[in-house]
Amino acid sequence: MPLAFLAVLLPTLFWDRPVETADTLHKAGIERFCVPAGREQAWRKVGFSATAFDRGRATQAIAPKVEYHMDVASATRVPWVDANGWRFEREPGRTFFYDAPAGSAALAAAEAFAYEVDAGIRAAPEDLAQFARMLKFLGEIGQPHLPVRANIGVVDDGSDTTAEVLNLMARHNLLFHVIPSVDPKYDLNIRQVPRDTNPYEFAMKIRRDLTDEKRLLRIFGSNVVLVRLTGDASQARLHLLNYGSGAVKGLRVRVLGSYKRGKLAAFERPGAALEDYNVEDGATEFTIPEMGIYAVVDLLRDSNF
Amino acid sequence: MMHRRAFLQMAAAAPAAMAAPGREIPGYRVVSHYQPVARSGMPGPYPGQVASVHAEKCIEAATEKPDPAVVREMMARGMLALTGDADVRDAWARFITPSDVVGIKVNCSGAPGIMSSPAVVAEIVRNLMAVGVKPDAIWIYERFEDQVETVHYDRYVPQGVHIWTAETRRGSAESYDPATYVETAFFDEDDTRSNMIRLVGNRFTKIVNVPNMKDHGAAGVTGCLKNIAYGNFSNVARSHSGSVTNTYSFIGTLAAVEPLRSRTVLQVMDGLRGVWHGGPFSPNRKFRFYPKRMLFGTDPVAIDRLLLDIIDGQRKAEHAVSVWDRSPKYLGRDDDHRNNPNVNPFIREPGHIEYAAGLGLGVYDLDKIKVAGIEV
Repeated sequence: MPLAFLAVLLPTLFWDRPVETADTLHKAGIERFCVPAGREQAWRKVGFSATAFDRGRATQAIAPKVEYHMDVASATRVPWVDANGWRFEREPGRTFFYDAPAGSAALAAAEAFAYEVDAGIRAAPEDLAQFARMLKFLGEIGQPHLPVRANIGVVDDGSDTTAEVLNLMARHNLLFHVIPSVDPKYDLNIRQVPRDTNPYEFAMKIRRDLTDEKRLLRIFGSNVVLVRLTGDASQARLHLLNYGSGAVKGLRVRVLGSYKRGKLAAFERPGAALEDYNVEDGATEFTIPEMGIYAVVDLLRDSNF
Repeated sequence: MMHRRAFLQMAAAAPAAMAAPGREIPGYRVVSHYQPVARSGMPGPYPGQVASVHAEKCIEAATEKPDPAVVREMMARGMLALTGDADVRDAWARFITPSDVVGIKVNCSGAPGIMSSPAVVAEIVRNLMAVGVKPDAIWIYERFEDQVETVHYDRYVPQGVHIWTAETRRGSAESYDPATYVETAFFDEDDTRSNMIRLVGNRFTKIVNVPNMKDHGAAGVTGCLKNIAYGNFSNVARSHSGSVTNTYSFIGTLAAVEPLRSRTVLQVMDGLRGVWHGGPFSPNRKFRFYPKRMLFGTDPVAIDRLLLDIIDGQRKAEHAVSVWDRSPKYLGRDDDHRNNPNVNPFIREPGHIEYAAGLGLGVYDLDKIKVAGIEV
């Protein structure tokens, strides 16, 4: 049964401003959110569905963004991306908290949704309308709860070095899964990250050892889009997160495996559809003509949507 | 149509055979569903032949203002010398038919200091129209909008001529063909593909290449090959990192990809002004010079071989280190490079021209290049 959606775990707005700001929330179309413990009743009295959120028990997520370090010598000028995907993979089951500065709340929501984590997001008032639109979009596309697809299994020793290697693998779309012990189902297993290794060099060695040909997923045309891939024998879902400041146009995606059909849902791009769809040599390629903060591509091996 | 896989194998075999002693050539995977044609545009019908036209009055050095009438005369004399025809229209008709859709590949990376001069481009447009090409079948094109918009070609050409850029926002991939690309990893970059501009395959039937005479910090010089190669593909800056550049093999590899190779039928090198240091950019006028020369041909290698001597000759006259010098002692930061002709960010690779000759794109040996020198 393709693309069957069970209960959808949506991130939640964390709102610690007084009830006098109710109009702000109304105008944004937000009716459900979480608040610091003890304030639920006050909000319920004015007609909102507010639940308590304990920031102290949540793990801090960083504000998702991109940083252009033009002072760092590099001809390719690859920007630095602050993303949480690697952390979510490392610490599954936790609740996270984002303190999202203006301009980042919708991306934070998409990121939490893509990785299926429980998250509270403190958003700036000026972000509320877009945040609400993102929640609506996420609710509409649903979540099929497919297994994570990865090339690389990583046995995590909990070290800072391993953390940085995980971060860099996620940054370069080297799909990994944190595992308790070596598992032959992965193309490559990392048993131990050497303590004194250069994390970047190590991540690039992983890439070379794996080879690009074996990678389950490649993207071309942007260096600020990070992807999460889930799937089973009959279908796959790609979550594409754009950490850059502008829209990405003409993003080319290559997914290993032959998928007869693909369907695009792009936030704030109604009617967007995949272009130049091609299945050849055991891989599926397509172009996302334009995406903003977030897009999802559902792929089916055999049947129609 | 040749099966894509078959073409891939052929294309991948070429660089291995070209490996130069002491230089590691990256593995290139060329993907194109366009067939090579027997009589390709490069080197075309005039391999190893160049018409070199000099006119002292083509540009006023003090104001950098070209004289369109002199440019017209230069172009006419150059085309006649190249083809041997008696009539200019006949000369152009050897390359262009009325039904063609023509891309004019300009070079604006040094604009507004140096670029394919509007006077030269306008004269090319006039000649195309004289052959019968309609204005809306003529496309003046370049990769970056922010460079082209400083030139205002629209003020010099008839209404209807398109002025088009591939990247209205830097890095945007929408105008490139996802099915025509060269794949290679130079420096562990994530995006390992350089895709060809879509229009080259799906719109243009012919391309006229209009480079300038410039030094280039990475490639040694930037002329026909560099303009047609790096100017028609995405994501090419990745070929440089640190002091290393892969322009040696990448330029020729890109230029040889179909259909770019077949459709580029004419080279018109605009050397009214030139840049002897700091190229491809030209923020500093003290590094500009005025060769007052245009080169015509179908062989990009032969023209670029002459360009090498023009640029290096000017550098020698200015007491600057040769583009052939590979000593690390001249390496330095971009800031210093902009002001000091003996500082360069990369080890230059002027050997890219000979490499391209090895790919069959033209004649490199000076003894085999026939130059028709014309004074206007």
